[in-house]
Amino acid sequence: MGAKRIYQEYQRPILGLVSVAGLFLAWELVLTYLVPLNPFFFTKPSLIATAFQEQVLGGRLWHDLIISSRAFLWGFSCAIAVGIPVGVLMGWRRRAEYTLDPFLTALYASPLVALAPLIIVVFGVGLLAKSVLVFLLAVFPFIFNAFAGVRSTDRLLINVVKSFGGKEKDLYFKVILPSTLPYIVAGTRIAIGRGLVGIIVGEFVAASEGIGFAISRFGDTYQLPEMFAAIFFLMITAIVLTEGMRKLEAALAPWRVGQEAR
Amino acid sequence: MVPYIQAKNLNLTFRPKNRDPVTALLGLDLEASQGEFLSLVGPSGCGKSTFLNVLLGLLKPDSGDIRLNGNRITGPGQERAMVFQEFGLLPWRTVQANVELGLELKGVAAATRRQRSAELITLVGLNGFEQHYPHELSGGMKQRVGLARALATDPDVLLMDEPFAALDAQTRDLMQMELLQIWDRAKKTVLFVTHSIEEAAYLSDRVVIMTARPARTKSTIKINLPRPRDYEMRLSAEFNDIKARIWETLKEELMTRSAGDGS
Ligand SMILES: Nc1ncnc2c1ncn2[C@@H]1O[C@H](COP(=O)(O)OP(=O)(O)O)[C@@H](O)[C@H]1O
Ligand SMILES: [Mg+2]
Repeated sequence: MGAKRIYQEYQRPILGLVSVAGLFLAWELVLTYLVPLNPFFFTKPSLIATAFQEQVLGGRLWHDLIISSRAFLWGFSCAIAVGIPVGVLMGWRRRAEYTLDPFLTALYASPLVALAPLIIVVFGVGLLAKSVLVFLLAVFPFIFNAFAGVRSTDRLLINVVKSFGGKEKDLYFKVILPSTLPYIVAGTRIAIGRGLVGIIVGEFVAASEGIGFAISRFGDTYQLPEMFAAIFFLMITAIVLTEGMRKLEAALAPWRVGQEAR
Repeated sequence: MVPYIQAKNLNLTFRPKNRDPVTALLGLDLEASQGEFLSLVGPSGCGKSTFLNVLLGLLKPDSGDIRLNGNRITGPGQERAMVFQEFGLLPWRTVQANVELGLELKGVAAATRRQRSAELITLVGLNGFEQHYPHELSGGMKQRVGLARALATDPDVLLMDEPFAALDAQTRDLMQMELLQIWDRAKKTVLFVTHSIEEAAYLSDRVVIMTARPARTKSTIKINLPRPRDYEMRLSAEFNDIKARIWETLKEELMTRSAGDGS
């Protein structure tokens, strides 16, 4: 009876874990007993685990990780610093919206990674070009979400603060920003995914180091377990970052807990 | 002598984009003296909230003149506060922080704010809910937070837009009594919008009956019942007589409305 209670309580993580573990197990078993493994074309979890141990935990990839993180952090910080003010401004001032909207719509709709070769031609191989690419991909979710947040601000609340003597500054800090914050956090989750794409594409196109470069090098040299180890590491990073944002959102916006569906 | 509150020939038309304009106020005249308790009743959608918002300084009339103590109203001011019909609580603030909003904007020190909000939270019966967020409260509780917030800054003029509409009958009776005490003690001027004829008759010095939209004052009924008023008074023949008179006048307007555009 105890086990049943525990199962009902934690049904979600339990089923999730079971499905993931099942997939890996099936993968391992098929390639061990059913299909002979050709290591040039494919690999299996036990080999990936060894490579992960060696490359990621053992430190061989650390240098590449640091190189990639640096570009990610630069690009991402600039995306925050530019995206939020631009979005808030567009939301609050109609003229700013009308002026900027055509560019944003065009850029957001187009696959910006197509610009990667051009960006590398202009900015050279290295940190700057990669940061620019991350910035370009990550800035839009910040702009659009900040914009949407400001637009959804309740007029009544603006009026309430005005009626108690609030000035323009109070409207920003007591109404507009708090009401926009959850939108920005949601935008951050999207921006993380897009920013990681920026890094990897940048390093695929032209680089001599970095995690994306490592992946393509492992691929070129048929080191498939190492390649998967790096890919899984990226996946884990993305999951940790986006889930971290979810937790942060709950901490920053306790009034939304229980209101918002997942 | 100039009346304390004086609205003369107020006109206001809303012009929403892509929709027909709506004239909410058409030549509205209204006066109130200092310390008076004045109720406004009228068909819903006639322009009562609009009028309170003009008086609060959030809406500008297209034409006409509105004065408080002889000075034209051009914007919000510390001497006026509103209990909003749709509550208007900031969802990211706890009950306590919501009650303190006006004090904060006035620059009152944190310790004083805390003390004042504690008093008011007790007054409206929300002890134990200080740290709750609005989404955790019932409609009636939110309304009481709105009332506490308006009282916190101790305004001379209290504008109340159907402030007790979301309360259950007992809480409503209780809050009415509290309000009369506050009004009597602090000598505030109250403009009180309500749907309840009984409530208007029980609380007010005068009841202003407004026409169907666009709003004008149709007639004013003076309530000559002695004060302090108690609950038993509501059972008297005199009280029922007053209610009947208000109803007679209001009924014609309600008929106009249902015969009209039905909004
Ligand atoms: N901001 C607005 N824009 C357009 N129409 C409005 C606005 N506010 C109120 N109205 C319209 O004005 C009329 C009067 O509204 P209101 O003053 O809220 O009536 P009530 O007497 O019920 O408080 C209604 O028909 C309403 O639809
Ligand atoms: Mg109203």
